[in-house]
Amino acid sequence: MSAVLLSVRGLTKSYGVVRVLDRVDLDVYGGEVLGILGPNGAGKTTLFNVISGDIRPQAGTVEYSGAALGDEAPFQRARRGIGRTYQIPRPYAAMTTFENLLVAAMFSAGRRERDAYAHCAAILHDCGIAERANLQAGSLTLLDRKRLELARALAGEPKILLLDEIAGGLTDEESRTLVELVRRIRDKGITIVWIEHVLHAIMAVADRVIVLSFGQKIAEGSPSEVMADPEVRRVYMGIEV
Amino acid sequence: MEAPVTHPSVTVQRQTTSSKAALTLAALIVLTIPTMPFWASGGYIRWAVELSCLIAIAQMWNLLAGYAGLLSVGQQAFIGAGGYALFVLAGKLGVNPFAAVILSVGLPFVLAIPFYLLLKRLDGPYFAIGTWVVAEALRLLTSNISYVNGGGGLSLRVMAEYSQHQRAIGITILSAVLLLLTVGGTYWLLRSRHGLALTAMRDDPVAAESQGVNVARLRFLIYIAAAAGTGLAGAVYYMAQLRITPESGFDPYWASICIFVVMVGGIGRIEGAIIGALVYFFATRFFGQYGATYLIVLGLLTMFMALYAPGGIWSLLTKIRDWPWFPTARLLVRNR
Repeated sequence: MSAVLLSVRGLTKSYGVVRVLDRVDLDVYGGEVLGILGPNGAGKTTLFNVISGDIRPQAGTVEYSGAALGDEAPFQRARRGIGRTYQIPRPYAAMTTFENLLVAAMFSAGRRERDAYAHCAAILHDCGIAERANLQAGSLTLLDRKRLELARALAGEPKILLLDEIAGGLTDEESRTLVELVRRIRDKGITIVWIEHVLHAIMAVADRVIVLSFGQKIAEGSPSEVMADPEVRRVYMGIEV
Repeated sequence: MEAPVTHPSVTVQRQTTSSKAALTLAALIVLTIPTMPFWASGGYIRWAVELSCLIAIAQMWNLLAGYAGLLSVGQQAFIGAGGYALFVLAGKLGVNPFAAVILSVGLPFVLAIPFYLLLKRLDGPYFAIGTWVVAEALRLLTSNISYVNGGGGLSLRVMAEYSQHQRAIGITILSAVLLLLTVGGTYWLLRSRHGLALTAMRDDPVAAESQGVNVARLRFLIYIAAAAGTGLAGAVYYMAQLRITPESGFDPYWASICIFVVMVGGIGRIEGAIIGALVYFFATRFFGQYGATYLIVLGLLTMFMALYAPGGIWSLLTKIRDWPWFPTARLLVRNR
């Protein structure tokens, strides 16, 4: 197994009396795809928000490449190689699809503008949205917005990519297309942490899976081990064992 | 005009036929303004100077509110600061008044730094109220400083040393420089890599931050730049007026003008601020005589645009013909 790229220890976050993350520990190994499952309100997106620096935890640490991230702002974490997508796509609506990628390539990856052009054009092609390069991002369909989220994160040349429900709301055919895309990204050596409700999508790609419930990690293991876990079946799928 | 940027595998287009025509026209206008004292009457020169100041102030507010998401209702702080800096430099310290206009940018620039450090802690409407409070505090402070004659204000008597013609030449050159720095500068900024970040920030600051954009620093820089540009416009405007008081320089009505001009013209577009300034300027000239009725109509027009055409007149025009004057987009025209 590769070295630990991202390590979370004792992560705790509350909103008022509601504890969204409760002493969560997890390790992400370089080059793997780690799936994160859990019912709504389990704390999955909050975990991503803490890792990406969008919110601060009340307790706990996040280490990346062996160093604590501390108070680093989201833009600094992005520049260090932590890329992310959002559950509800957040395109720069009035900018073109191509320009959406340029922002990440120039500011996250630190490319010079002229170098970024070919890099972004290639990613648009890989993600299947080259034909929409000059369309305003706000005019794209849901599938294309999800592709754009992914393409934009890739343009930033992340070492670790946090994917937040990119298959949510898509048809089976569309989610299969995205799974293929995620596989190709993994094959390039990019570490992926993927939150997803579409089980067949995550089971097709994930090397390991963890399950969160009410802010606590209740299971961890290979996809088959986790799916066989009685507690997971009870909490996540509502199946009493 | 620049050629398309070509890479071994892609070509990026940044100009259009309409923009080439508009940029040529804009350059001709900027070059023509300083020649006005040789062929135009004093009335038209005053129009050109006031319109230049209005476009500059609106453009700076557009940069601030339309791109950086900083909704200020206190830009009059910098109009007054620029104006007072000119009157002190030229009237009290003996600096050449035309050079003093340029130097007067220093005061709003310096003031903007502590103002922003104070205001950045406030969000949304609180930020807006904070900017208004800062401007009011500056007005009250100025009213109580005897060095600048308190509430009585100052006159630019040093201008009497110059003939009417010399004054007209000086102020038209300054107006052209003002347009070049504010409109041209905004265009240059928006086409640069920082402009790309700023446009991303306008659309979604959270996503921009997660893509490596230092949103906090960019907002700070835009606030400072807008303060300097607004201050320069204030200095040019009050040089033309030859007199400034705390009531006029720090008048909250300036904020209303900014909001009207940018909302009606089209927020977040360079073209919008220009169109809005033209609408306001000529509406004031032709209908200002109707007093309160005229102000009510302006207010209703602003509300109408906010409700039914939030992109302003410019967005309505682009629905008819998408002919940008100052395009900032990067279009991928070939991907071999």
